[in-house]
Amino acid sequence: MIVDPYNSRVREYFTNPMHCGDVAGGAIGYFEDQGIRLRLSAAIDGDTITRLRFHAWGCPHTIAAAEATCRRFEGGAAAELEDFETGQIMKDLAVPIEKTGRILVLEDTVRSLGQAIRDLTDT
Amino acid sequence: MSADLEPIYLDYAATTPVDGRVAERMREVQDRFYFNPSSNHFAGRRSAAVVDAAAGQLARLLNADPAEFLWTSGATESNNLAIIGAAKQRQHSGRHLVTLRTEHKAVVDVFRALEKQGFEVSWLEPDPDGRLPPERFQAALREDTQLASIMQTNNETGVVQDIQSLGAISRSRGVVFHVDGAQSVGKMPVDMAALPVDLMSITAHKLYGPKGVGALYVANGTAIEAQMFGGGQQRRLRPGTLPVDLIAGFGEAAAVAATRLEDDLTRLAALKAQLLEGIRDLDGLYVNGPEHDAYPGILNVGIEDVEGESLLLALEPLCVATGSACNSQSQEPSYVLRALGRSDIQAQSAIRFSLGRQTTREEIERAVSLYRGAVAKLRDLAPARTA
Repeated sequence: MIVDPYNSRVREYFTNPMHCGDVAGGAIGYFEDQGIRLRLSAAIDGDTITRLRFHAWGCPHTIAAAEATCRRFEGGAAAELEDFETGQIMKDLAVPIEKTGRILVLEDTVRSLGQAIRDLTDT
Repeated sequence: MSADLEPIYLDYAATTPVDGRVAERMREVQDRFYFNPSSNHFAGRRSAAVVDAAAGQLARLLNADPAEFLWTSGATESNNLAIIGAAKQRQHSGRHLVTLRTEHKAVVDVFRALEKQGFEVSWLEPDPDGRLPPERFQAALREDTQLASIMQTNNETGVVQDIQSLGAISRSRGVVFHVDGAQSVGKMPVDMAALPVDLMSITAHKLYGPKGVGALYVANGTAIEAQMFGGGQQRRLRPGTLPVDLIAGFGEAAAVAATRLEDDLTRLAALKAQLLEGIRDLDGLYVNGPEHDAYPGILNVGIEDVEGESLLLALEPLCVATGSACNSQSQEPSYVLRALGRSDIQAQSAIRFSLGRQTTREEIERAVSLYRGAVAKLRDLAPARTA
């Protein structure tokens, strides 16, 4: 039997990706691998991520995962980016095991953003 | 998708709704002719007469002899019986077989199974528009070739092969010629008296009949080996109790199709033109398969830099296909489109719209609007290639 491959959260985030966009002049994380492209951009005030936006080219799980990441970390401390867990995203969005590589690309993008923020705050 | 969302169904190549007259006939047969048509009593003979009447309806649609049909469970079984049955029947004369790379899985997988049993298969490449040039087909036939199988209408692109020429070549070389007619019978004129075809697979549910019943046309004089055993029904070639109600529905669907083939084709051509004109100006859009002289019920389009799986979800409540429905659980790009020279990413973004009798101009308008909206949304979501 064919079951719906998307849970309600994937459908909600895919349908209403309210964090899609760019933060002009913000710190940027970008990665392209596994047939997907991800870009995160963030505005920082002190240690706080005041705005976090994404652009994504990929499957619905990829887009939903990017939106979920923005919802999770916007308004929090930049240091929390270190807490990004692929396992939690995979579970929340019921990402099929064969798409694990795409979530790892998101992890790389988040790390790349964390590094960009550190570079920005160090200068 | 929300449970109360009304689907806009443009996936008629996957299956069609059962015509009201077909449903009515099946109900009548279920109530009045539920007897086993192989039984010797008079009631059984009444059921047998219902089966005969259905064979007559199918024969009239195809200009064939009613005795040339075997009832099966559908086109997949017909393909298996035709291909394996003919290959094994003739294997003592040779074990070389010919088919096309863009055949349906129900043909491709049968040939793969035969390869594992020691048969040699030549997999022919189509032109970029999906057509098989007769001279390429002719060149592939050898002294030991026993069987060739070429579909009439491709389920993904709607390209129609030149069955008349290909069959004539087969006949001239003494090669049994099988045609998968799942997407053509009941949808376009098919005249078995004029076509040099030995075996043709047919299914009811693609022509507004019930699921679970099909037929194999076996031209008089064509020998095939049985693949199932367990009774003497249907000349021992396909045993099993016949589903009289499904067969009656199939016959009725064929009779309805015969009365409206030309009207259906005219109407579908207008709807397909409306659909293509509505999206043609989108940047990066291209048609997979031929734009003209194809079956008008199918339009397969791709679009550059849009991800296929997301496109399909963004199109809801539009019911369309990526690749073929039989392949829809797979994330693999369509092997049919790959054979036409499309890249993996291009093949993956392909959407097959397939139209049918119930399709309206309003549904096409809505489909155009949804497709344009989905493409715009996904392009807005996508990042530039570099940060």
